[in-house]
Amino acid sequence: MLTFIGLGLYDERSITVEGREALAGADRAFAEFYTSRLVGTTVEALESFHDIGIDVRDRAGVERDPAPILDAAEDEDVAFLTAGDTMISTTHVDLRLRAHERGIETRVIHGVSAQSAAAGLTGLQNYRFGKATTLPFPGAHGGGDVPDSVIETIEANRERDLHTLVYLDIKVDDPTADAAGLGEDERYMTGDYAAGLLAEHWADELGVVVARAGSPEPVVAADRLSELADREFGGPLHLLVVPAAPHHLEAEALEELAGAPTALLDEN
Amino acid sequence: MGRRKKIVQECERLMDTPENIRNIAIAAHVDHGKTTLSDNLLAGAGMISEGTAGEQLAMDTKEDEQERGITIDAANVSMTHEYEDTNHLINLIDTPGHVDFGGDVTRAMRAVDGALVVVDAVEGAMPQTETVLRQALREGVKPTLFINKVDRLISELQEGEEEMQERLLGVISDVNELIRGMIEEMDDIDDDWTVSVEEGTVGFGSALYKWGVSMPSMQRTGISFQDIIDLERNDKRDELHERSPLSDVVLDMVCEHFPNPVDAQPRRVPRIWRGDAESELAEDMRLVNEDGEVVFMVTDISMDPHAGEIATGRVFSGTLEKGQDLYVSGTAGQNRIQSVGLFMGSEREEVDRVPAGNIASVTGLRDAIAGSTVSSVEMTPFESIEHISEPVITKSVEAQTMDDLPKLIETLQQVAKEDPTIQIEINEDTGEHLISGQGELHLEVITQRIEKDQGIPVNTGEPIVVYREQPQEESREVEGVSPNRHNKFYISIHPMDQEIVEAIQRGEVSMDMPELERREALQEAGMDKDTSQNVETIHGTNILIDDTKGIQHLNETMELVVEGLSEALDDGPLAAEPVQGTLLRLHDARLHEDTIHRGPAQVIPAVREAVHHALIDGEIRLLEPIQNVRIDVPSEHMGAASGEIQGRRGRVDDMYQEGGLMVVEGVAPVGEMIGFSSDIRSATEGRASWNTENAGFRVMADNLQREKIMEIRERKGMKLELPESIDYL
Ligand SMILES: Nc1nc2c(ncn2[C@@H]2O[C@H](COP(=O)(O)OP(=O)(O)O)[C@@H](O)[C@H]2O)c(=O)[nH]1
Ligand SMILES: [Mg+2]
Repeated sequence: MLTFIGLGLYDERSITVEGREALAGADRAFAEFYTSRLVGTTVEALESFHDIGIDVRDRAGVERDPAPILDAAEDEDVAFLTAGDTMISTTHVDLRLRAHERGIETRVIHGVSAQSAAAGLTGLQNYRFGKATTLPFPGAHGGGDVPDSVIETIEANRERDLHTLVYLDIKVDDPTADAAGLGEDERYMTGDYAAGLLAEHWADELGVVVARAGSPEPVVAADRLSELADREFGGPLHLLVVPAAPHHLEAEALEELAGAPTALLDEN
Repeated sequence: MGRRKKIVQECERLMDTPENIRNIAIAAHVDHGKTTLSDNLLAGAGMISEGTAGEQLAMDTKEDEQERGITIDAANVSMTHEYEDTNHLINLIDTPGHVDFGGDVTRAMRAVDGALVVVDAVEGAMPQTETVLRQALREGVKPTLFINKVDRLISELQEGEEEMQERLLGVISDVNELIRGMIEEMDDIDDDWTVSVEEGTVGFGSALYKWGVSMPSMQRTGISFQDIIDLERNDKRDELHERSPLSDVVLDMVCEHFPNPVDAQPRRVPRIWRGDAESELAEDMRLVNEDGEVVFMVTDISMDPHAGEIATGRVFSGTLEKGQDLYVSGTAGQNRIQSVGLFMGSEREEVDRVPAGNIASVTGLRDAIAGSTVSSVEMTPFESIEHISEPVITKSVEAQTMDDLPKLIETLQQVAKEDPTIQIEINEDTGEHLISGQGELHLEVITQRIEKDQGIPVNTGEPIVVYREQPQEESREVEGVSPNRHNKFYISIHPMDQEIVEAIQRGEVSMDMPELERREALQEAGMDKDTSQNVETIHGTNILIDDTKGIQHLNETMELVVEGLSEALDDGPLAAEPVQGTLLRLHDARLHEDTIHRGPAQVIPAVREAVHHALIDGEIRLLEPIQNVRIDVPSEHMGAASGEIQGRRGRVDDMYQEGGLMVVEGVAPVGEMIGFSSDIRSATEGRASWNTENAGFRVMADNLQREKIMEIRERKGMKLELPESIDYL
């Protein structure tokens, strides 16, 4: 049995009760933290909290060499852990399909995803989010500073009057970042940095930065992208939302919960 | 004022009259007498004393050259010569004859407008005579012929007048046959560039004894063949020299028959430069305009203990002066000229300025390498100078003491700058660097330079042969899947037509040129129109064709596709040797919606896998470099000599008699030729002279493939098993 468990957003306590029980009942636990991370805790803290050893796999250890996980799942109860929800931005459907190919039973225990947190914290309606996209570090992807596909996604959403959730790149498991000796914090793209990149295309448009969603003190800030680019939002993880013209209640929420300048909201 | 000083002043005066300038190279098969002839010309021009010409070898300036008696770098020298009451400035480049140093010859040809081809009267036209002729003609450089060592026909072979004439005519007609064959392929040369005695484009004589004649000179001096034979036989060579001095005859020929820069540049510039022919810059170059923008083509980089790095080359337009800030092709920003000079034998003389049409040597161009285009405005660079052969042999070099580590790296980088046919691979972690070059001798000379010139004691590894991998047939369409399985690439390959491969090797097709031109060049080489329009990249001699239509996000991902492809081709599937001559088609791709899930970690391995699988499906095989071998040997040693070729997995193609010796011609793998030098000496009691020439790569026999592949894999520390799909070896 292979159980995919989402650990939620922030620390060892962000998991659901159901997830916690499933993990307590597992014989073995694997995890990956290259797609996202729980910034409020450590692997050791997770292990002691759940009283189980966790085998952390890197990208190659999941994608290229999933055999140890699947072998174990063949005769034991194995938990596979990720931050957030395991099937949302992390797309571990591949691992699930491979398990099925081998006749291994699987199940998914959801965690809170950044996607729902973004709607929840900003007050923007979940129904109005269009396609999501990830903004990679410049140069990590070929092409210019902002890949065309990112621009196109945001533009297409705006045309259809939809918000865009922009996930921000994480350079974990990246040999170029290792070689450059980047510190822990420099590997997570920050909201101000992302706003700076997007401001080249939409300087005066409204953006919302969400920092440390799921933590006791999340930060939510709405302003022009060019203004956001000059601010600081503290430690990781950050998200950015490029809203469409807000609905009246959304506008009120942005003003009250995210400090959006009134004048700017009137403009939009 | 010293004589030398006077000459420098005279050169400076003449520099401004391009009509009176001749830029020439002397080129020949090894040992046919280039260096001896050059020294004669220098002595004739008063640059070195008469008595020492011949022994002094002023052109062989580096210690290892004088020791070995072969010319390794092209050296440069300027001199003056009076012809028909007008003083001429002659800029001369001596070129190496050993084929291992072929890159230098090609570069030298870029700087000059005429090539004096020297052929030994006894040996006749040899393989490298053909090579240097081809290099000259390709650059649009006009040839004349000097048949050397005629004294040997008379004194050693005791030939009479008729025999001698017959032999000379034989050499001339061989050379002309070569020229005719090569000119036929070139449509921009309408003139007859064959050489002839009547026209005065052939001279003959003895560089060793300093006499020479040509038809015009014989008419002028009244000296006859019989006179020459008599004087030579009776040991009156000095008289012969006085009556018909070699340098006058040759330098007259140079002034009369070689084009001056004003005549040559309009024809040569379109041949070596692909920029806009209508532009002002093009006009400046055609007119040799000394007041135009500066255009300087660097053909040689050398180190001077005092002046530092010296860049030598041809000024095509404008005037070089100290303090100019110039662009260097392929690098950002500008370099400032520190000093401007001319070469006088091994010494450099600083002058105030060098105008268009001359060969200059300057300091301060720290970013330039041999082959750079240097200019006062940003411009399309000159065509890359062709390197006829790729490196075939590699050696590791390691400093003996820790202290020398940084200096060795610096020196290796310098070596690669000076000689682009050398490739280096620096490995700072292990300190074991790799140098690759044209042959065993080439690398030996380089390592000796490091030890002697730089005083860095090094340990070198055994020479390692460079192999290639190439598919033998068309593959099916093969799928490559990314590790996260969200991305797929569909690729097929097939072996590329030889003609296209050669066009790439000659630099006629490259990604640096405008797209339209590239398409035309590819079509000319036989590629169909549709394919030529979809070229995505050229990597080595391989081409990627993008046959996909309208796939979303592929644009953004293409750079990563190319990266994966490059990795796959640099390290082929058999033994991680470079893949060559392959046309790859990208038929289709499936990409994840979000950039992050189609990043480098996904796309590169997917493409690498697809390319390797396609290559294997196309029955990829290992190729080894081969050499043409020619041995000249007395007939009693002929058996031993041909045995040396056959015993090395070689093949003897021809054996014939020539000039009292037997000639054995054949082909053998470079790998087996290591150590040939001493083996052939002992097999023939030192009576054989021999020559090799790189002749490309050849598929190894099937029964040797697996063994050689495993040998290379073991050396590289790779797994000793091949993918199961390689079931054909
Ligand atoms: N007999 C004779 N020997 C010559 C003549 N010219 C050159 N040599 C000899 O041929 C050898 C090679 O000459 P060199 O100038 O170094 O040839 P390079 O390799 O073409 O530069 C030397 O031993 C010269 O002394 C010549 O005209 N007659
Ligand atoms: Mg020489």
